[in-house]
Amino acid sequence: MNARTILNYAILSFPFLLLIVFLVFPVFFVNALYLFTGPSFFETIMSPSIRFILQFTIGQAILSTLMAVLIGLPGAFLIARLRFRGKSLVRAMMIVPFVLPPIVVVVGFLEMFGSYGVIDSILMWIQGSSTSVFNLATGIPGIILAHTFYNIPLVILMVSASLERLNPEIEESAEILGASSRQRLRYITLPHVMPSLLASAVLTFMFCFMSFPIVLAFGQGRFITIEAQIWNAFRLFDYGEASSLTLMQIVITLSLAFTYVRLTKRENETGKTASMKTTSFNRYPLRERVAIAAYLSLIVVLVLGPIATIARASVYDPVAKVYTLEGFTNLFRLGGQGAFRYLVNSLFYAGLATVFAVILGILLALDMRSHHRFVPTFASSMILLPLGISSITVAYGLVLAIAVPTGLITNPWPIIIIAQTIIGLPFSARAIELAMSKIDPALLEQADSLGASRIQRFLFVELPLLAPGILVGAVFAFAMAIGEMSATLFIALPQNYTLAVAIYEYLGVRAYVEAGASAFFLVIVCVIAFLTIERISEGSTGGAL
Amino acid sequence: MTQYPVRRDPRKMIAVASVSIIIIIAVYAAVTWWRPRFVVYTYGSFFDYGDEGAETVLGRVFAPFERQYGVDVDIVLLDVDANGIISKLVAEKSRPLADVVIGIDNILILQDAAKSVLEPYTSPMLSLVNETFVDLLDPEHYLTPFDFGLITLIYSTSSINTTTHPQLGNLTFADLADAEFASSLVTENPSYSSPGLSFLLSQIAVYEKLLHQDWTTWWDDVRDQINVQEGWDQAWEVWSGDPSRNLLVSYGTDPAYSAYYYGSPPDTAAAPFFYDNQHWAWMQVEGVGLVKNGPNPELGKAFIDYCLNATVQSEIALNQWVYPIRTDLSLPSVYQYAVNPNEVSLLNLLLNRTEISTNLNNWLDSWTATRIP
Repeated sequence: MNARTILNYAILSFPFLLLIVFLVFPVFFVNALYLFTGPSFFETIMSPSIRFILQFTIGQAILSTLMAVLIGLPGAFLIARLRFRGKSLVRAMMIVPFVLPPIVVVVGFLEMFGSYGVIDSILMWIQGSSTSVFNLATGIPGIILAHTFYNIPLVILMVSASLERLNPEIEESAEILGASSRQRLRYITLPHVMPSLLASAVLTFMFCFMSFPIVLAFGQGRFITIEAQIWNAFRLFDYGEASSLTLMQIVITLSLAFTYVRLTKRENETGKTASMKTTSFNRYPLRERVAIAAYLSLIVVLVLGPIATIARASVYDPVAKVYTLEGFTNLFRLGGQGAFRYLVNSLFYAGLATVFAVILGILLALDMRSHHRFVPTFASSMILLPLGISSITVAYGLVLAIAVPTGLITNPWPIIIIAQTIIGLPFSARAIELAMSKIDPALLEQADSLGASRIQRFLFVELPLLAPGILVGAVFAFAMAIGEMSATLFIALPQNYTLAVAIYEYLGVRAYVEAGASAFFLVIVCVIAFLTIERISEGSTGGAL
Repeated sequence: MTQYPVRRDPRKMIAVASVSIIIIIAVYAAVTWWRPRFVVYTYGSFFDYGDEGAETVLGRVFAPFERQYGVDVDIVLLDVDANGIISKLVAEKSRPLADVVIGIDNILILQDAAKSVLEPYTSPMLSLVNETFVDLLDPEHYLTPFDFGLITLIYSTSSINTTTHPQLGNLTFADLADAEFASSLVTENPSYSSPGLSFLLSQIAVYEKLLHQDWTTWWDDVRDQINVQEGWDQAWEVWSGDPSRNLLVSYGTDPAYSAYYYGSPPDTAAAPFFYDNQHWAWMQVEGVGLVKNGPNPELGKAFIDYCLNATVQSEIALNQWVYPIRTDLSLPSVYQYAVNPNEVSLLNLLLNRTEISTNLNNWLDSWTATRIP
């Protein structure tokens, strides 16, 4: 084995090494060290309050998934079959909710569905009431609605993509052979989209299962997920309970993540065609047109509403019932109680996390395309890990296994950056891998035969070709990192707060305009991020999902 | 004629990018670098309720100490309640960074976890402190008393008062369970908030010791009506922002606060509980303690002594809005509106220390169970 091979191996194993040190070891450490302190694992998970939390976590995740699938499915069919202008833009916009930070969505929901929100104001005006008459942004309805909001686009994107791959000839043959439209749906369309429908349902369930900011904001401490209870247990220095919950959660989420990957793998094997038969709106019968219009208005209220109303939340103070610019003044106020330092922290942490996520993402993508027997499989499962291990678990492990022994706990900003890197990594790695798979291998062979060294080939051929993919991955990682609240809240001291954490704190003390203005800022950042992705990737936005 | 694009050397770009990233990291790290200094952990609202805000007051109060000992005192305001501070100290046990902790109260100290991170110290300055406080807080001297407050219910007199609701003058838990009162009540989660925990123990003391009834029944009765916030700050915001929530579990000094800021007579009044022909309240005594194996133990002891000086103690009334532990110092005139500690019986005395420390976790579990819908 010569020096070059060793260097090659060293570079390829570098991301594994980092993930093992900063993800696998800490999670293993907290489980091993604290699982056996305090009451036993079974005693913890069988206690009435934990049983209730588990029931609630699963129950709300099932309900949210059902809602998202039921509302998302017609949308998927519409996107696939309806011909209209600006369709690619609409499809691209579906990604926006996905990159919106959950705590920002909370602000939007309060403004849309909460008391003195948009709907409430209209109802109050109709009824001539001076006090609030309507509030859905609280308790279980708030949690389910917010989760539904988040995951409808996911279902639409994944199922419509699969629908578009359905070869129209199959349906046409069925039609010629006299199959009714119901029979075609039953025997052709549904079996075809089933894997992607299941995959989107599994992913939705997993996101809802690990939900943290939304549950914290709407659950009023009574309705909480396992994820939130891990944080609570940690705050009450009950590491035994926290570790038991972590273990239980990891078993569930990793099996879900595994199921998801199996489902999408099977999906990708089917042929790709994009010759779906589409029909324009005017050619639908009247009854169906009414149904479509009703459906679209539901989507507007449920998905666009909360995003649009964040603008109102940034200037309207529902406590004092006045319009004010105080939120924005606060956002750019230096020193004292101003939020400017949170803004600086947000940009600094997310910026660095993006750089690391991209570097590691490139290396992991190289690993996934390596010709070695085990490396690609190992790399894909390593990428899967951050998806299946919740942010709180990552933070919990990092704090106890890394921050405390090294003394970083007094000023834990490097730990926050590590956590945000880990959380953004699956997205950057998948976007880059996707771009890498599109490189024509002939180009690389030409470079080789013209005598380029491995480094030259990488720098002058691969990297320029990868640039758009890298940028998409970077934007995704940045959006994930700047909106990340759970792990950051877990790790941060007040001096390390980011805007996302600050919004949560503001909501707690009913400083609504301060929360609204910060949320509005994050929305702007995410929209810019989205526009960048859209510009670069030209329609293949969903690739990183 | 076709032109090939000029090939820029990516190595240069990568080098420039790396150098600028390293510079940014270095600047941020330098600005936030952890310098060895004297560290005090306390909760986020420490000395923050006055005219000037915490930063100014803390600077003024501890400047003489810094001069005398030539150290930088770093008051780390943790954005958690005292419970969270203990959690942090436990997490850092193998390598403590703080020297002193302020804000652990007479209930939290009864947990073994709290004692495991503190070192007992008997300050010579204790001669200036009424011995009752030492007995109430910690006779083993893990903590030295710093301030005290009375946990009671408060209400805003503009929406309810003793004329509209005479029960407020002689309030009982049975009155509070009445639908109208219960749906006006805001309290704090006892697992995360020390006033919330004091209120829970008050209720347990009354039911178990005065009424001889199962305490959980009251919480079952009010389960769907009361509003439980995570901490005092959040509860205060709900109480002051939502006119239908006009009863709050808070401090007996709040009427004085109201008088100071909004003119006397205050529009906030306190409603201590009334049983056996006397008024009752829970006394919360907060202490300052020496962190076990902290970096500067001798300085830590000097700091604890310093906390009992008039320089520190005289700032408590108007910035912390509880009573200074030194009863020999004169109080601001608005304190005439506060619940007078000499006029109420202490609910604390109904529950002895071992009883609390053995049952606390079970009580909290049972309380959590009462909140399950």
